[in-house]
Amino acid sequence: MRYEIRVDGHMSETLTEAFPELDHVKMSGQTVLFGPVVDEAHLYGLLNRCQSLGLRVVEMRQLPE
Amino acid sequence: MTTRQKNPRRSAVAHVDPLGEPFLRTRFALPARPAVFLRRPRLDEHLDQSFGTPLTMVNGSAGAGKTLLVADWAARQRQPVAWFTTEAGDQGCGVFWAYVLEALRAAGVPLPSDIGCPGDASRVDHGLLSRLAHELNGLERPVVLVLDEFDRVTSARIAEQLEFVLHHAGRGLRLVVVTRTEPLLPLHRYRAAGAMTEIRGAELAFTVEEAAALLQLHGLRLPTAAVRALVERTGGWAAGLRLCALAARQSPDPSAYLRDFEAGRSTIADFLLTEVLKRQPVRVQDLLLRVSVVERFSPELVAELTGRGGTEPILAALHSQNAFVEDLGHSWYRLHPLFGEILRAHLRFRSPGLESELHRRAAQWLHASGALPEALAHGAAAGDWNFTTRTLVDDLAIGQLFTGLRANDLAELFSRMGPEATSAAADLVRAARELSRGDVERGLVQLRRAEERLDARPDAATRLSLVLLQSLAARLTGSPGMAEQAVATAERLWGEVPAELLDSHPEFSALLLTHVGSARLWAGRFDDARAALSTVAGCPGGVSTALPREDSLGQLALIDYLNGWLCRAERKAQASLRETERFGLRDPGFPGAGLGQLVLAAVAVDRDELRAAQALLDEAAAASGAPRDPVTAAGRSLATSRLLLSRGEPRAAAAAADLDVPALVDSPWAEVQTALVASAAHLAEGRTESALKVLDDVSSDGEPTWAAELAWARFAAGNQESALDLLDHMRTHRHTGPRAAVQCALVRAGAAQETDVAAARKLLAGALLQARRERLRRPFLEAGPRIRHLLDSPPLQDLAAGWLTPCRPAPPGGPGSAGDGSSLVVEELSGREREVVGRLAELMSTEEIAADLYVSVNTVKTHLKSAYRKLGVNGRAEAVRRARDQGLI
Repeated sequence: MRYEIRVDGHMSETLTEAFPELDHVKMSGQTVLFGPVVDEAHLYGLLNRCQSLGLRVVEMRQLPE
Repeated sequence: MTTRQKNPRRSAVAHVDPLGEPFLRTRFALPARPAVFLRRPRLDEHLDQSFGTPLTMVNGSAGAGKTLLVADWAARQRQPVAWFTTEAGDQGCGVFWAYVLEALRAAGVPLPSDIGCPGDASRVDHGLLSRLAHELNGLERPVVLVLDEFDRVTSARIAEQLEFVLHHAGRGLRLVVVTRTEPLLPLHRYRAAGAMTEIRGAELAFTVEEAAALLQLHGLRLPTAAVRALVERTGGWAAGLRLCALAARQSPDPSAYLRDFEAGRSTIADFLLTEVLKRQPVRVQDLLLRVSVVERFSPELVAELTGRGGTEPILAALHSQNAFVEDLGHSWYRLHPLFGEILRAHLRFRSPGLESELHRRAAQWLHASGALPEALAHGAAAGDWNFTTRTLVDDLAIGQLFTGLRANDLAELFSRMGPEATSAAADLVRAARELSRGDVERGLVQLRRAEERLDARPDAATRLSLVLLQSLAARLTGSPGMAEQAVATAERLWGEVPAELLDSHPEFSALLLTHVGSARLWAGRFDDARAALSTVAGCPGGVSTALPREDSLGQLALIDYLNGWLCRAERKAQASLRETERFGLRDPGFPGAGLGQLVLAAVAVDRDELRAAQALLDEAAAASGAPRDPVTAAGRSLATSRLLLSRGEPRAAAAAADLDVPALVDSPWAEVQTALVASAAHLAEGRTESALKVLDDVSSDGEPTWAAELAWARFAAGNQESALDLLDHMRTHRHTGPRAAVQCALVRAGAAQETDVAAARKLLAGALLQARRERLRRPFLEAGPRIRHLLDSPPLQDLAAGWLTPCRPAPPGGPGSAGDGSSLVVEELSGREREVVGRLAELMSTEEIAADLYVSVNTVKTHLKSAYRKLGVNGRAEAVRRARDQGLI
């Protein structure tokens, strides 16, 4: 499965390194992290990572294959 | 409830010593409030309501200021507050509750030491939770327990258990949960009942006035409009505001800086932290990045990580600014979790590869300061498996992979080890993991590999570790020679390792002796086995040795059973099970798991309590599945086949008697048992010849217990002469139990009955007296009609009445009336049984009795069953009546 996670604000290059498995793009005040997600556990892990880095998740959705 | 005074409880249990472990202590410490902390009365007032509700939840995002809010509030309470910071590694219920108990004790909550302590990282006994709840419920003033960072506890079971304790502790416990995520507690119920104080993100957010006050604490005075804009940009987020203040304070024009920040679109924490970080002196930046790899740090550990000393003032300054560092007291600090996480990302970005080097340094320093679990965790994080396994082996801690609170954590940690580690220590750990999973073949391969890799002169700890694993392998493969070699080598090596190392690992010698004892038992050397096993059974009780103690007691019980002592075997088997119950242990992987139940089942078969025997066998199967350990497997096959024989299923019995555990040497007693069952099975199907032939193939070697059994079997098959011949050559010694004597007497009585009925009856009377004490019924039931016919004389009937045959209805007032009859019949109730029956008389339910006596419901049921049996009754009312008649209650 592929997912896209939108977080509030522009993430620095340093911080995006905390998500080495995902690509990212900055747009209109948000950063979109996207890429393959292995399973549910990975998905929740990503959410936890966002939270522990103080990121505010605005949207998360599964991408069509 | 007055029982507590009446029942001095079980002896003290060794528990985790919080003062002995600096890391544990810091987790019970209230984080200190920094100088720039802003106290917010509206939140304090809300928190004060937590005294009125069982549950309080402070829920907010990372950096919302939850921990400091609660810590500051807690520090101002008149009574001490129990504080516990959970960690991601605490997922096992056992670990969690062990630490909660310690946190309560550290806060001065008077918990009796015999409340127990979880002995298994992943389990906690329900009885322990009941006892804890009961203790808390009885407190005069409620205890406030704060669980910080509860979001790290993701186990639904822990949440359930917490809910149970909270519910049953009543007004005695006020739980405050500090968390980033919604906990798995049934919050809706608490909300609906108004039993919950809830402070959530929105309430934690700073108001404009509060933000202005906070900025002022940092030396910034801003117009209200500017503060409002800042609160809007940060959402009132404490960490954001604090970082803003720090970054602005360091810039030449704070107001302009904040205006720029408000207009910016970067993620707040990351951006601000970068800003604040880059304005720190290089040395401080370096320090902050480097300490991000450890959970907690002291100035000495920081010196190790940075390569520079004299960091104490820097840490103190960082704490007082509250930018990054929290003070845990006793010179220990930690990074604010949010900032730590971001700093770690920075470290990886700036200095790739440095992280594992830092983990390695931390591991070495931690090991040198005696913090083994933390050292191992960092060694593993560094991916340095040679170091990590070396550390475990050097510390003589390899036994912790098998027993104790850390077994699961260690198994998980070493499961990440890849094939790249090539040291002997790594192979030893691999062997230990295979053996603990019961894969003997692969374990042996690894052990051989480890031996090949040993240096020319390996150190004592390595050799001892090897010896311990060899003793386990020897036991699992039924190789007594290898086991003896192992114990002999160990005895030579004891003197070469520091005494304090051995003292701090009591599990090491306990495991070694248990395995050696088991190998000896397998080989039929009961006296030698008893010597080793009794040492283990007698070693001081503690979590780390609970499993080997259970195992040893189970084996001692088996020896007693094989020697024909039913009551002794029963007592030891029960002690074995108590050992596990006390610590809430259920380790199906441990070699002797389930042996206690198996011995009890065999005892029950001898007593013709077949349903109880079946239930115990089922319990044993649930405890261990198919045992890989030869002794346990033999015990299971013995109990199962005897039960099947008693039920009249000879074929199934013969099949069950066949041992399918590969062993290097044969076990004499296991062979005799197999032959006995096979013979009985042949006999039951009318093949007398075959029955006798099977017996010819085994020798009793003069061993009295087996001689009696074999004589009994020959006699049963009709070969009276050879039976008597066996008995004539039988020696007896002090370990020979009543079963052998009863069997001998029955054989001789059977032989004598044709010529001298009086002599036969005399022999039978003796047999009945001995059997009655043990409630040994099986031999009489198997004895056949001729002997049973002899029992039909009045004196023998009296001896048999009540336990072997139903009570005779005595003529009222006649000689030998109910009075004497029942006094013969009724066996003394134990103290505990009397207490249980006494409570029955007070119309208490089983559950109530359990709670009253601080034991599990199952234990009460066991006592009841046993009391019913002794009283010869089938129900509560009857039991109470009978006990009253007997003057027992």
